[in-house]
Amino acid sequence: MIVKYFATIRTYTGETERRIDDAPAGMRELLTSLAARYGTAFRRAVFSGDQLSGEIIILVNGRNVVHLEGLDTPLKASDEVSIFPMVAGG
Amino acid sequence: MFGWTGTILRVDLTKGKVSREATDPQLARDYLGARGLGGHIVRSEVDPKTDALGADNKIVFAPGPLTGTFAPSAGRFDVVTKGPLNGVLAASNSGGTFGPELKYAGYDALIIEGKSAKPVYLWIKDDEVEIRDAAALWGHTTPDATDLVRAETDEDAKVSCIGPAGEHLSPISNIMNEMHRAAGRTGVGAVMGSKNIKAVAVLGSGAVKVADPEGFKAAVMKARQMIQAHPVGGSGLKAYGTDVLVNILNQTGALPTRNFQDGYFPTADKTGGESLAAKQLIRPKGCFSCIISCGRVTKVDSPDYKGIGEGPEYETAWAFGADCGIDDLDAITKANFLCNEYGMDTISLGSTIACAMELFERGIITTKDTDGVQLTFGNTAAMVEMVEKAGRGEGFGAKLAQGSYRLADSYGHPEYSMTCKKQEMPAYDPRGVQGIGLNYATGNRGGCHVRGYTIAIEVLQNGAVMDPHVTDDKAGLGVTFQDLTAALDSSGACLFATFGIGGAELTEMLAALTGVDYTLDEFMRIGERIWNQERLWNLEAGFTSADDTLPRRLLTEPIKTGPSKGHISHLDDMLPEYYQLRGWDEKGVPGKAKLKELTLN
Repeated sequence: MIVKYFATIRTYTGETERRIDDAPAGMRELLTSLAARYGTAFRRAVFSGDQLSGEIIILVNGRNVVHLEGLDTPLKASDEVSIFPMVAGG
Repeated sequence: MFGWTGTILRVDLTKGKVSREATDPQLARDYLGARGLGGHIVRSEVDPKTDALGADNKIVFAPGPLTGTFAPSAGRFDVVTKGPLNGVLAASNSGGTFGPELKYAGYDALIIEGKSAKPVYLWIKDDEVEIRDAAALWGHTTPDATDLVRAETDEDAKVSCIGPAGEHLSPISNIMNEMHRAAGRTGVGAVMGSKNIKAVAVLGSGAVKVADPEGFKAAVMKARQMIQAHPVGGSGLKAYGTDVLVNILNQTGALPTRNFQDGYFPTADKTGGESLAAKQLIRPKGCFSCIISCGRVTKVDSPDYKGIGEGPEYETAWAFGADCGIDDLDAITKANFLCNEYGMDTISLGSTIACAMELFERGIITTKDTDGVQLTFGNTAAMVEMVEKAGRGEGFGAKLAQGSYRLADSYGHPEYSMTCKKQEMPAYDPRGVQGIGLNYATGNRGGCHVRGYTIAIEVLQNGAVMDPHVTDDKAGLGVTFQDLTAALDSSGACLFATFGIGGAELTEMLAALTGVDYTLDEFMRIGERIWNQERLWNLEAGFTSADDTLPRRLLTEPIKTGPSKGHISHLDDMLPEYYQLRGWDEKGVPGKAKLKELTLN
């Protein structure tokens, strides 16, 4: 599994992407393990209490997890996960 | 009047005559200003079938009631005219400082009509208005022309001018304000060129009168705080600019690539806002009264593309980037600088070069057509060279400067022009985001994203979220966004203020400013009136429901790679419902009941 980071998320992770060999079962497990690795700023960016923050956009293979199963979205080794803060422009 | 100045300035270039007239309070109430009021003036005074580049066309510069106040990001104005690119009721919105200055000089609108026999520029200093000789300005780029005008008038003058592209009557030419801010779509620069007017310089010493100063101050402070607290309006745009969108659109599979032949560009990250901030950004920059600061003051050090200027925005980074198969950010930024200097629309020119690249790779054109240049996707040097040629109107560049529809059509292949109503679409692939396709197809100035930015909901999760791959409820979303944006544009506020506030806050500020008892319902009704006004003009100009469509490619050819692989646009699933919600018949014509409801004829 590959996890890609964008915009301010990169300032929390210090890297643009990370390859994860042992894919966690689902999105909650993935984000929890990443929060343990990257620390408080990352945790606050992705979680609001034990829910997904409303100010984070997480795509699994291009699909926003809010259109999948949110934190319960199952993951597999071939998935590409993209993590964005809220961004906009035009 | 409060909010409005109460005066409209009219300049007849044929007669060399300057006159003033009172702003009609009822029209001001019903159309606000900028795009709405300017559109009403043009629809009332210009035959929709007239030659856009003829003396009978008129061009209106109009700020809105909020313009020039301390409301957040209230520095906008519109240039309204019959558009030379495609004949629509064109309104091109711009930031900077020109709009507020026109207001301080005392005007709700400047109407320029007729045609001068020789190059001129206009110098407005409050009540003093002069039509001055511009022989020495003609041929100059926009920065040089701006400096020359200031040297002849006042160093604090705010200057709106055209570059060589507008002089050459390119239908994709801009009007540039303060060198770096563009009234940048529909080819409004060519209308100035056709009238032999190079620039408008303005300096004002007045102020905007406020009906309820305490109420206005409270409404403004509330709006400013909401924007500052928003992750996008408060900090995101300042840090990364609009170019931050490259990655999220690419990761969604909706970044049009190689002239919309695909929707995913593997090396897009090299052209995104994160790369720009790391490599080129000197500082963020805001327009008048802006607390968002999405503008980018940038510097390119690489020898081939060295320069200092502003940009690129997301659309520009895409047009000269993924759409041309290019991931060299230095070259993209250089192309942006050149467009600003020559006065050209970056979206339209980038998309036109992408179209030419496809024509070249398909063998429809060869090096005999392209002045010996191998115009293939990914050829960075060729892209920058073509921008120069288009700006100067030289060789193959003269064909590029006509826009992609005229270019592709001249070789018998209009199907490779990625346009709606002959205007180039921006940087969101309708096959990966269904609602934006409906917005392009129904866009009343053609392919355009800033008049119904459904991306905010379909991709960016701004306030609400809808699945980009489904068509359900997208008609209603499109109508709401189009109406809200029409009213917002006409108020003088910046569209990006909506990354923090909504119609309710805009209504509150307008009511306190003007003393008119606006409600949110009336604000939205004004937007609907303006949208229908533009629709009526377009129908009178000869457009029909057959023009409410997308390029065939997007309706029939699935995206080849990336997250939206296999998807096409399902426009037909949305369009009938859109007409119905609009109160239009099956041919897209507003019904009598709707016109009566909106007090339109």
